Amino acid sequence: MMIDFLQSLVDGVLVGTTYSLIGIGFTLIFGVMHKINLSYASASVGGAYCGLLLVGAAGGKSALLVFLMAAAAAGVIGYVVYLTCFRFIPASHPLGTLMSTVGMLLLIDEIVVHATFGVPVAYPPLYEGPSIELGELYIRPDYLMVFAVGIAAMTVLTLLLYRSRLGLATRAVSQQPVAAQLCGIALYRVNAATFVVTGVLGGIAGAMIGASVGMLSPLLVLPLTVKGLIVTVIGGLGSIPGAIVAGLMVGGFENVLQYYRGVTERDLYVMLLLFVFLVFRPGGLFAAKSERN
Amino acid sequence: MLEVKDLAKHFGGVKAVDGLDLHVRQGEILGLIGPNGSGKSTTVNLVCGVYPATAGTVWLEGQEITPLPMHRRLTAGIARTFQNIRLFGQLTVWQNLWMAQNAPDHVREQGFFARWFGGQARARASAMDYLDFAGLAEKADELASALSFGEQRRLEMARALAAKPRVLLLDEPAAGMSAAEIETLDERIRRLRKGGLTILLIEHHMELVMGIADRIVVLNFGRRIAEGTPAEVQADRAVREAYLGTS
Amino acid sequence: MDFYLALLQVIGIHALIGLSAYVVILTGQVSLAQAGFFAIGAYVAGMLTVLAGWHLIPALLAAGLVAGAVAFLVGFPALRVKGLMLVVATTAFGEAVRLFFFNFDYQVAKGGVRVGPLGGEGFKQIRFFPENGYTTLDVLVFIWVVVGVVMALLWWMDRSRAGAVLRAVGEDELAAQAMGIDLTAVKVAAMTAGGVIAGFGGAIYAHYTTHIEHFNFGIVLATFAIAYPILGGLSTAFGTVVAVLFIQGLLIEGLRFLGDWRNLLFGALIVLAMNLRPHGLLDAATTLRLRRLFGRGGAGRDA
Repeated sequence: MMIDFLQSLVDGVLVGTTYSLIGIGFTLIFGVMHKINLSYASASVGGAYCGLLLVGAAGGKSALLVFLMAAAAAGVIGYVVYLTCFRFIPASHPLGTLMSTVGMLLLIDEIVVHATFGVPVAYPPLYEGPSIELGELYIRPDYLMVFAVGIAAMTVLTLLLYRSRLGLATRAVSQQPVAAQLCGIALYRVNAATFVVTGVLGGIAGAMIGASVGMLSPLLVLPLTVKGLIVTVIGGLGSIPGAIVAGLMVGGFENVLQYYRGVTERDLYVMLLLFVFLVFRPGGLFAAKSERN
Repeated sequence: MLEVKDLAKHFGGVKAVDGLDLHVRQGEILGLIGPNGSGKSTTVNLVCGVYPATAGTVWLEGQEITPLPMHRRLTAGIARTFQNIRLFGQLTVWQNLWMAQNAPDHVREQGFFARWFGGQARARASAMDYLDFAGLAEKADELASALSFGEQRRLEMARALAAKPRVLLLDEPAAGMSAAEIETLDERIRRLRKGGLTILLIEHHMELVMGIADRIVVLNFGRRIAEGTPAEVQADRAVREAYLGTS
Repeated sequence: MDFYLALLQVIGIHALIGLSAYVVILTGQVSLAQAGFFAIGAYVAGMLTVLAGWHLIPALLAAGLVAGAVAFLVGFPALRVKGLMLVVATTAFGEAVRLFFFNFDYQVAKGGVRVGPLGGEGFKQIRFFPENGYTTLDVLVFIWVVVGVVMALLWWMDRSRAGAVLRAVGEDELAAQAMGIDLTAVKVAAMTAGGVIAGFGGAIYAHYTTHIEHFNFGIVLATFAIAYPILGGLSTAFGTVVAVLFIQGLLIEGLRFLGDWRNLLFGALIVLAMNLRPHGLLDAATTLRLRRLFGRGGAGRDA
């Protein structure tokens, strides 16, 4: 009994890295622009598709190549999303950008359905091999690989944010957009760069989801959007460590409940988890300190 | 009229207002001045209930209003303007005044149903009086966001007056205004006093505040460092030091 | 002909859910919970007519009341969160409602067959309209009478202080409170009204399709609900109805000749519309200009 619980928890946490990555994407864009990009999850899945199609078209089969192409394609999609949904809509009207990203979500979704004729496509696993045994616990190597790639992506992102000039500019814009502009930071360029970076992250997440499920389907988009948003809120808006921890947490939580209560009830408990957080810890796990004004 | 007793507001370790006593007397203009960051705006926000006080109490005509939420303080008789104009830009000019018609008088006159779901004629007619006063009658049907900066400031004041307050809090009403505009503002505030309104005036513009205030309270670091007539305050050593920074 | 009648029925139902989101969004709350209230209305009304044998009209009113009561309860915790947090919280609420009905069984035997909601199988045989001999046209009239009543009430509200107060709260909560407006009362009232309207919509929807399933009430419906008022503009309830006509009539049906490509265009057109008119089709300035054009500039002066 105990071992089943542990097994579901471990599997869930390992796959939860994908939720973390999607959560980071939402949280980063929110942190920099104070806007919601609802098309993010669909762009991520779209990027993962592009990776597969591009590599397939070139006759390649390498899973690694698919991964890299997915990240690159999602980065490009991120830039397109910025241009079409944010760049020319006044910042003072948050509903406008909210709606435009909804339109983008539908558009990307439909393009994917078109390109694949609505049929799920097989996705190459990153690594195949025998399971690792830890006592009675089995750790699937493809899950472990997904976890490892996720951690690597997060590490690179953190380095980028805290060690590079772009990261400095991003943080400056997120804290004081006007002052940052006065210091000669081009707001549009930083915002665009944020979309590219989060896009790349999303592409990796999308490819990881494909790799861990074994296939990719447009049906993944809405659940992924909801889970990503929940992770963002549970982690605390704008908090990257929060998104990481919340992603792993939600992943583990839902997999354990799936084991005990079945797949139809599973998500109901995830929603309840969110409500518990909203009531008892509305700022999330890593709440930003409330500021004056 | 309006009394503040031992009021304090701490933001984390910052003591924005720290043990402040104020007394605005019936029918007077009390000027509240002080260098940047001395706690003037925080005081206004505490009096209006924007955030709860760390300690201390606020009284209006002998009634404690500290526990009241923000909207109930308006119905109690305190109306305000904002330092950084906050109008309802998507409503028309007169509709902005409509929003402020929440005083007990309005409720009694109109009754629940007519006030919320009745026609506009009566509300508009009573709003026009204040728009005349602010010189905005001709713009009554424009969107508030289409007004010029000076007009928006005047509209904010008209909106506060439309709430029929007994105490009016003006938070830097002259900020960003031209000399000519300040002159008409000066004259308008005097007319309000003549009408019997009690005014707490927070202002940076010394000429204006020294000219019309009956008494002045000077804040620094969230505390009162001087109080008296404009002449007395101007002669005060502590005030000069606070402003010039020589200590 | 029947095709157009069916289309008008769909438009009427979508107008109701769009209007339910309109009331709430006026106060600045982007609520993705409307599909949840819609689902509650659908199941409540369906159960009342099928299981309890009620007439549709009392069942419709009861559905509105129940959905409104739930919305009232949702309104209070919703006050605590704003912006993205509210979007996520209301999405989660809507999903929770949907998942509840996904797992909800309540069947009784009626005339030898078991009827009632059955989890993932859905709720079949909500046959009030066919059983009572309503033609497609009758159903259409019924739908649009309800839409007409709701529209009339909202039109009245828009012209009264209540409507302006909702907008004032939506624009600047702090200033509204400083002007003596009770934020809690206004926001909860708006949420409740939105719940009632969505409940009506759901009740009608259940009887119109005769077969409801949990996935009818997912995020897509919730997104459409907020899309209508945002695309239509928030200065008048007519904007929402215009947007429903635009999306359901023009984009979804009018572009049918494009086949599969229609759906592609759909998302792209929303993106384009928001770039061209970020405040929606009928924004405050446009409405004002239209009113002037029709000689109603100083509405109060001649009223």
